[in-house]
Amino acid sequence: MKWIDIKAGFKDFWNEFKNVKFGLFGLILLFIFILAVFLNPYIVPFPEASSRWRDITYWEDNPVSAPPVWVNWFSSTKRAPSLIIREHTFSEEKMRKMKLTRTIFEYEYSYDLPPLDVIFHGYAKGSPVIMLNIERPDGRIVELVRRPISKSDGKIVRISIAKDTRIESYNFGAKYESPEQNRIIREMVKPTSILFSEAKEGILVHPTPLKGAYKIIAEIILPSETDVVEDVYLSLSGSVSGWLGTDNSKRDIWSGVVAGVKWALLIGLLTAFTAVSIGVIYGVMSAYLGGWRDSLMQRIFELFVGIPLLPVLIVMSAIFKPSIWILIIMMSCFFWVGPVKTVRSMGLQIKEETYIEAARALGSSSSRIIFKHMVPLLIPYSFASMALYVPSAIVYEASISLLGLGDSTIVTWGQILHDALTGGAVINGLWWWVIPPGLFIALMGMTFAFIGFAMDKILHPKLRTR
Amino acid sequence: MISEPILKVENLKEWFPVRRTIAQILKGERTWIKAVDGITFSINQGEIFGLVGESGCGKTTTGKLIMKLLEPSEGKIIFKGKDVTHLEADKLKEYRRNVQMVFQDPYASINPRFRAQDVLEEPLIIHQMGETRAEREKIIRRALEEVRLIPPEEFMERFPHMLSGGQRQRVATARTLVLSPSMIVADEPVSMIDLSTRAEILHMMKTVQRELGLTYLYVTHDLSTARYFTDRIAVMYLGKIVEMGGADEIIDNAFHPYTKALIAAVCEPIPGKSNTIKEVPIKGEIPSAANIPSGCRFHPRCLYVKPQCQEDEPILKEIDLGHQVACHLIS
Repeated sequence: MKWIDIKAGFKDFWNEFKNVKFGLFGLILLFIFILAVFLNPYIVPFPEASSRWRDITYWEDNPVSAPPVWVNWFSSTKRAPSLIIREHTFSEEKMRKMKLTRTIFEYEYSYDLPPLDVIFHGYAKGSPVIMLNIERPDGRIVELVRRPISKSDGKIVRISIAKDTRIESYNFGAKYESPEQNRIIREMVKPTSILFSEAKEGILVHPTPLKGAYKIIAEIILPSETDVVEDVYLSLSGSVSGWLGTDNSKRDIWSGVVAGVKWALLIGLLTAFTAVSIGVIYGVMSAYLGGWRDSLMQRIFELFVGIPLLPVLIVMSAIFKPSIWILIIMMSCFFWVGPVKTVRSMGLQIKEETYIEAARALGSSSSRIIFKHMVPLLIPYSFASMALYVPSAIVYEASISLLGLGDSTIVTWGQILHDALTGGAVINGLWWWVIPPGLFIALMGMTFAFIGFAMDKILHPKLRTR
Repeated sequence: MISEPILKVENLKEWFPVRRTIAQILKGERTWIKAVDGITFSINQGEIFGLVGESGCGKTTTGKLIMKLLEPSEGKIIFKGKDVTHLEADKLKEYRRNVQMVFQDPYASINPRFRAQDVLEEPLIIHQMGETRAEREKIIRRALEEVRLIPPEEFMERFPHMLSGGQRQRVATARTLVLSPSMIVADEPVSMIDLSTRAEILHMMKTVQRELGLTYLYVTHDLSTARYFTDRIAVMYLGKIVEMGGADEIIDNAFHPYTKALIAAVCEPIPGKSNTIKEVPIKGEIPSAANIPSGCRFHPRCLYVKPQCQEDEPILKEIDLGHQVACHLIS
């Protein structure tokens, strides 16, 4: 086969493929998935999701179990979304050796539910003192934290208002609250809901949001000239977050789901490719060799068909360290049985062709006949069945991961579902944690099923007439 | 034509077992399809030997047995003085280099995905002939020229569907020639080809045979081409040879009633006469090879049947120099 023939063959195939609508739809979906793999860093807020899925420090600025941002579109109570504020105004004052800097972040708050946390980030050298204040739209300034940083050559400073300002916020709220409502437990205090509420009775228990421009002011005292606090920014963990919300470990589900595309494609395609290749060669060999060899190969085949895959996978995953590669190998070891029967029956047909007999008369070895004369005829069928095995490989991996036996070094849709299961997502109504990975599994399956069906439709009549 | 026999076939039999019912297995019965049932002949070096008969008489099976595509149930095949009845893989490969086959259907005998060049290169690769690609191409070009596909460059790149039936058969013949075999089994090489090109193909084959000193076993059902093409003819009926002799001798002085019937069945357009269908001196259809009649196999269809024919099986007897007949009517 020359390149030009392959090109011509592909052109014919494409012309027919174009007419199968659902096949085209599948192809578009596949294209989108592949695009998602390559554009991963640009379309997700947390591009390292794949490698740091289980690293809690990577996710600590996110809110816990926050719904997706677009729930605001359907709800009358508007929730503050997650946000990172880097813009700030900066001023500096010199007092003898010391320096006093003022960094002001502005935040326009126009929601009904406040963000869950406001976190100040910076990189400090030396031993500065950081003071955080908040200036509310009603002119009141609340002094929140005063934190001296121990001397160092450089370390990351992270001040969380939700965690570190409970007392200050409570004290601020308590001034306005009626005494009988004043008895709520301090641990229950949500600083942000006090700070972003109108200063009147009910601020602690039934706060009314105070909308307007807030200023978060960071005053930093730098005792010596070499001391510095740089890379400052403010991150707000909203009460809604990201396109698909977050889970109970603060992980951004959209990032996780997109990171899962790559693994799903890898698992699906690699398993389908190895399994179908083995199956096709096995089937053709069985058909061509015939006689007792055929019988033996068919009995072995039946043995494999008889073994249920899922229990074997569970046992294997329990014995070996669960790794994606072991899983792919194990699945290939059982998926190959799929095309065998069909390929064998096709092989029996091709075997009777005169040109096979002619090749034998020329002195061709069995392997030459199988690989040069028979397998090329089955390649179209192989591609069609490969496409159809991709979804089942993905679903099997998801099942194994759902049972908690998946590869813990990566993130797959099955694992997100597993976490959702153990995290009680359904009971707690965290639908955004369950539906997206499930939907993506279904979409990926649909993609390859559509492509497979379309290929089947195009390639099968040809095989029949040949 | 006195020369060394290149191929000798002795009492060759090919019986295919019939799948038995449970009752038959319990009774211990076995039935066979006796496709070839004890045939003996020899082919001389440089000769064209015709094997003629109706469909189902075992002539193609004989061809395949000689080609070693089937294992004989009984008998011997001796090629160039060596017994080749049962061969091991490497000996078989060697044998196949010497004996080649042209198949009946040029549309089916060439892989539709191979270009003419690939078709011809395959035997060279299998038998490791020609060190380099260029060298192999030279052999291929020469083979194409031999079968009159000129210029070879024009045909080398073509796929089978870009060739006519005659051209395909030429390619199939060229495929056998690249190995420079000493014998070619031609299984009805022109039966699927347009009448107009038949003579041309046969002429080409004959020319090649003379040029290269080949031996042909020409299997056919068509007596007219057999006469034109072959030196000697054996007529087969239900797995047995019923008459054998020089081509002209067989056609002009046919003795066996079956041979006579075959000759009568050949349609000849005679100028000036309206084409009347001739009376064929034969009755009925060829019986199944699974259920061979007793005595002479031909007796149910024979017009000259004698009581003896139903009991004794006739053996080949020489009635003239090199002309053998198996019939009870001789005596």
